[in-house]
Amino acid sequence: MKNFWSRRDFLFQSGGGMSGLALAYLLHKDGLLAAENNATCNSTPLSGNPYAPKTPHFKARAKAVISLFMTGGPSHVDTFDPKPALARYAGQPLTGKGDINVRQGWPGPLMPSPFQFRKYGQSGIEVSEIFPNLAQHVDEMAILRSVYARSNDHVQSTYELQSGQIRAGYPSMGSWITYGLGSESSGLPAFVVIPDARGGPIGGVSSWNAGFMPAAYQGTAFRSSGGDPIMDLKPPAGMTSEQQRARLDVLAKLNERDLQKYPGDSELAARISSYELAFRMQGCAPQAVDISTESEATRKLYGMDEKITEPFGRQCLLARRLVENGVRFVQVFSGGLGDQNTETWDAHVDVKTNHTLHAAETDRPIAGLLTDLKARGLLDSTLIVWHGEFGRMPISQRGIGRDHNPGAMPIWMAGAGIKGGQVIGASDEFGLKAEQQVMSVHDLHATMLHLLGLDHTKLTYRFNGRDMRLTDVYGDLIPQIAG
Amino acid sequence: MRTASVTGEIAANYANYANVGVIGVICGYFSPPELAWAVYLRLVLFNDKQYSSNLPQAKREGTLTKRTVVASIVCGLALAGMVVTLSSAQETASFARDIQPILENSCWKCHGEAMQLSKLDLRTLEGALKGGEKGAAIVPGKSDESRLYRRVAGLEKPAMPMGETLSSEQISAIKAWIDQGAHWDNAAVAKAQPLDRAALAALENMEISPEARNYWAFKLPVQASVPAVSANLKNPIDLFLEKSRQERGLKAAPRADRQTLLRRAYLDLTGLPPTPAETAEFVSDNTPGSWERLIDKLLASPHYGERWGRHWLDVARYADSDGFEHDYDRANAWMYRDYVVRSFNQDKPYNVFIKEQIAGDELETKSIDTMIATGFLRAGPRVNFREKDTPERRFDYLDDVLATIGRGVLGLTVQCARCHNHKFDPIPQKDYYALQAAIFGYVETAYPMAPKAEADAYAKKVAELDAQIKPLKDQVAKIEEPYREKLKAEALKKFPENVQRAVAKPESERTPGEALLATQILEGGLNVNARTLEGALTNEHKAQRKALNDRIAALQKEKPKPIPVVDIVTDGDWRFAPLGDGDEVIGCVKCRIRETEGTYLHTGPGRYEVPASYFLVRGDPNSKGSLMKPGFVTVATYGNPPTEIPPADGNTSGRRRALAEWLASRENPLTPRVIVNRIWHHHFGRGIVPTLDNFGKMGDPPTHPELLDWLAVEFMNRGWSIKQMHKLIMTSDAYQMASAYVDSGNLEKDPQNQYLWRYRTQRLDAEIVRDGILVASGGINLAVGGAPVRPPLPETLVKSTIYNVWKNQEDGPGVWRRSLYVYRKRGMAFPMFEVFDMPDPNFSAGRRSISTVPTQALTLINNEFVLKQAQMFADRVKKEAGDDPVRQINLAYRIALTRSPDATELAVATDLVGSHSLVDLTNVLLNLSEFLYMR
Repeated sequence: MKNFWSRRDFLFQSGGGMSGLALAYLLHKDGLLAAENNATCNSTPLSGNPYAPKTPHFKARAKAVISLFMTGGPSHVDTFDPKPALARYAGQPLTGKGDINVRQGWPGPLMPSPFQFRKYGQSGIEVSEIFPNLAQHVDEMAILRSVYARSNDHVQSTYELQSGQIRAGYPSMGSWITYGLGSESSGLPAFVVIPDARGGPIGGVSSWNAGFMPAAYQGTAFRSSGGDPIMDLKPPAGMTSEQQRARLDVLAKLNERDLQKYPGDSELAARISSYELAFRMQGCAPQAVDISTESEATRKLYGMDEKITEPFGRQCLLARRLVENGVRFVQVFSGGLGDQNTETWDAHVDVKTNHTLHAAETDRPIAGLLTDLKARGLLDSTLIVWHGEFGRMPISQRGIGRDHNPGAMPIWMAGAGIKGGQVIGASDEFGLKAEQQVMSVHDLHATMLHLLGLDHTKLTYRFNGRDMRLTDVYGDLIPQIAG
Repeated sequence: MRTASVTGEIAANYANYANVGVIGVICGYFSPPELAWAVYLRLVLFNDKQYSSNLPQAKREGTLTKRTVVASIVCGLALAGMVVTLSSAQETASFARDIQPILENSCWKCHGEAMQLSKLDLRTLEGALKGGEKGAAIVPGKSDESRLYRRVAGLEKPAMPMGETLSSEQISAIKAWIDQGAHWDNAAVAKAQPLDRAALAALENMEISPEARNYWAFKLPVQASVPAVSANLKNPIDLFLEKSRQERGLKAAPRADRQTLLRRAYLDLTGLPPTPAETAEFVSDNTPGSWERLIDKLLASPHYGERWGRHWLDVARYADSDGFEHDYDRANAWMYRDYVVRSFNQDKPYNVFIKEQIAGDELETKSIDTMIATGFLRAGPRVNFREKDTPERRFDYLDDVLATIGRGVLGLTVQCARCHNHKFDPIPQKDYYALQAAIFGYVETAYPMAPKAEADAYAKKVAELDAQIKPLKDQVAKIEEPYREKLKAEALKKFPENVQRAVAKPESERTPGEALLATQILEGGLNVNARTLEGALTNEHKAQRKALNDRIAALQKEKPKPIPVVDIVTDGDWRFAPLGDGDEVIGCVKCRIRETEGTYLHTGPGRYEVPASYFLVRGDPNSKGSLMKPGFVTVATYGNPPTEIPPADGNTSGRRRALAEWLASRENPLTPRVIVNRIWHHHFGRGIVPTLDNFGKMGDPPTHPELLDWLAVEFMNRGWSIKQMHKLIMTSDAYQMASAYVDSGNLEKDPQNQYLWRYRTQRLDAEIVRDGILVASGGINLAVGGAPVRPPLPETLVKSTIYNVWKNQEDGPGVWRRSLYVYRKRGMAFPMFEVFDMPDPNFSAGRRSISTVPTQALTLINNEFVLKQAQMFADRVKKEAGDDPVRQINLAYRIALTRSPDATELAVATDLVGSHSLVDLTNVLLNLSEFLYMR
């Protein structure tokens, strides 16, 4: 794919004489003045801007992604990867599996899961008791048990899940998808992140940056509650919409006049239209996040009737609304910063307390999201991916906790026409490392792009003299999902 | 055990690809050769559509013989019973287990890393599919059409591998694997390739071909004679440019008007627009030489270094924090930033500037300033001291340093040669490790900014006091001990019974598992927090402890004020790094390097020696090749420059000094070209080589190669003076051309203005947008240098930063410093800068990308800071211009745009001010394209 936005030269070429953008702007202008009307929120962006929709490489199975990122690293052996051997060999040292590299303190003996597993659905796949609602959807889920990460450091592995690289400075998945497909919404950013209300995630805002790509492709953080969803979205108190419109009208008039001195400069034309897009976003974004229009039943479905599930339920409901409004990639974080037990899935201290809490916060909301998407006919065109940055150790840490373990991790995918009720790959009998059909994060990324109609080997961005890829030089499609 | 696990999960794994592979191998063994079983099973039983497209037409249409169908069903039925046997007896025909070893042992010697005979590279699936001179090696799904199979099976000549024969099991495995679709695991390949001595030797002794140097960037630049294409043009730059224009029939734009030029020069050299007074002064000066005098004045301004130093800070990937999880504050980083600004203001010769940054600790002329300069090497992201725990991090840090020197100084992507020979440029992997050896002494440390005697006296005094404090602390610990024990025992009771039991047992009676459990509890598992302890003490003990702590505090107070330190890089032995932030609790204890003899910094006697460094196969620190000697990029090395220039004091190796001398030498073809090209880029919006950081084959070629070389030589002849280059360039006609110039002929022949027929407009950098706003409002605080500032940010954003949170300072003159001084946090870019394309400080980046997005508009129309400044701008205008709206508008234009409004603009503005207010206009002015561009 041609690198079309990083250079102004392209802009120049794209318009001969009066630029296409400026022309489009003039044509749309009258319509745009009514931007606060709902009608324009769902129209597609003007061609020529970085969010203009682009044709995928082949027919896509999904057009949007909701990524549910469990910050801190949920344990696979306590969620979606039951290990009876841990009970059988409880209290014995883990041997014969190579070096045991713990991140903190001293390695403990094998520790069984404090949770019971039960079979669910037609598929009879076993799921931990901490997800009683989510488990009802197991027949819609493809569970991946053999993806490994490359670092036992939160931030590095977060970067890996986000960008394929354990180093900072590479574009995240959402940036690649926005770059590859553009947006379906003219009034909203294409890549939206909904952080946990407690803050975070551990990797900070650089978890969703655009790396070496232009800033246009970075994620925009939406606040799920209180105030405007986007920074600087609304004029400050005291400024009326009429006053702002007056400013923008004069601005447009003067900028258009200025453009006449630089005929053919489509960067200047793009600047003019960026103000109209901004004005439109002011109307559309608050609408998109306004969940007051949702029925009581829907709110309840997402667990917004209970204190423990309300915050994450709100995040999930917001995610659905954004996807409905044409947002391409929505990433929802569970887990903030700070206290390892109460704020993130980082269960060093006590896996039972930690996972009981965080599962309780997210179980109903995620189940509700799946139910709701299905009921609205959106599940088939939306890819849902659930994961953390790594899994956790089968051995104990400080008696009852679990340390980081990048050797295997819990991941599930749903929607996008993926065959549910299947388990893909396997970790070893204790869950220390991925063992059967070992998959890298690159494989996961390649498969996700594939579902969106993008060939991961062809989605390239020229940087530093190289055609960079999300999957670097790696990535194999996961056959059971890519089909 | 494995069997049991497989059986237990048979239902879940039924559709598992790996298991299908198992079936494929077993069944394929008995199946007729024209149809592999696995293919059929995947197709029919698992309805694998992607796979079917790889099959020959006949098979897709289902013309299966009855025999094969029956056979397949039989085999399929055998599935359930087979699983247990499979897992214990015959392993799957997985790539990693069965195919990769064959490739490793029998193929890669000739079709791998070291060489690709017949142009065939079997290291990747892509390579195998592309094949060599004879065509594809593998056709997935069709072993009978795959050369790889046909050659190893002897069906095609010459049979492979040369001089050996594979076993029949190996041949069948290859066949089955191809028929199953040739699933390839690149990641496993990268991980598992063993050391092949022959291949390694070939890599380590790789010579570059003599023709490699025959590339423009690797030849030493020579000044061609200046073309005599015009009698009117004097500046050689114009003559070179005019020659290329004439060749293309392009007509140069006329000179821009004086206000435009003035604004251009101010923004370009200082990043600050001129004030109305400065404008008036220049516009009224009609005496000859006024333009030259203006340039001299701006070059002498302290704000020049702030602007041009910022360009270099992009190259140096400068930030004020570490990055990664903790993103620790780098409290002293700004000293390096100020060093850069100072160096530009002093017009420090560029070769000296480079030498100081690479080897400031090894120069004969070393000073505090040259020590600070080495901050360049450590300005990149770091997890922190953890390289000692996880040694592979060290190699990432060194890679960051080499990548930055490569891209920043040489314009080469040397980091591409870390794992293999560079794919496009003649940079063998051995050059990378020679460069790594040149910097392998690299350690980070703090250097006291005081004479040695003073620093020693300080250290002595601190040690004396610590010696007095120690027994007091021991006494405190003795008082606390029984309480701690008691509290720990209480904490233990909260653990489950098995944990308590393990801890309670005598050490000798613990099972191995209990021993582990007890250790992890006793070593840091039972934390007693200070408040709980305080509450537990008796009043008497409380008082005793307080008395002791008071004495400790008094002694601490006696400690002299710490000597300020700078963050430097010097030579040392990283294996003895002192513990630092992030080291306390981390890591595999066994993996931690525990050397018994040695020191972090060389303390004598004798000369310092660099720790051994090795050629690393595929960049893997655990796959060591030969010991490396220091060296440089061979293709860009002329003569036989020394690779070590040991300093007299013997405390460092002199390897970085030698590297610095090579980089900053006239005999280096890249360094001078790269820097003059950077200077050109910032003046003209585009480099002669547009890819500033890549002069290799994947970069863009120079539009004006002769001019580039002429400038490079001129630059060196003028003592590597950057200021002289500015003057040379800015006094050219080319620099003074109008940008608002249209010529349809030119547009058609050179639509991108590659050949500079008009001046290129440039969107202002993020920092300059903010600075311009502050200048317009009059609020700017032009203090130069010092610690960074943190302008206030919304709480929601601050919440997403960890540990080193952004401590909001009050909005006001204290933070209305130039944007250069805004704290640069790796974990959280300053929002206003981020939306205006400030580069990620994790990479060296010479050229910023330019995007035009609605968030920029939202920032400039809604952001609280911007609107406050717009209000100040309006207030200022009222104060200076009085009540007359026309005068107000006129002044506002002159402040924001360096010119008066024309009649139409005045009318539009008067309307707005009349119907609304002046602040509505000042906000609009700060949003105008004209305000946001240098033209």
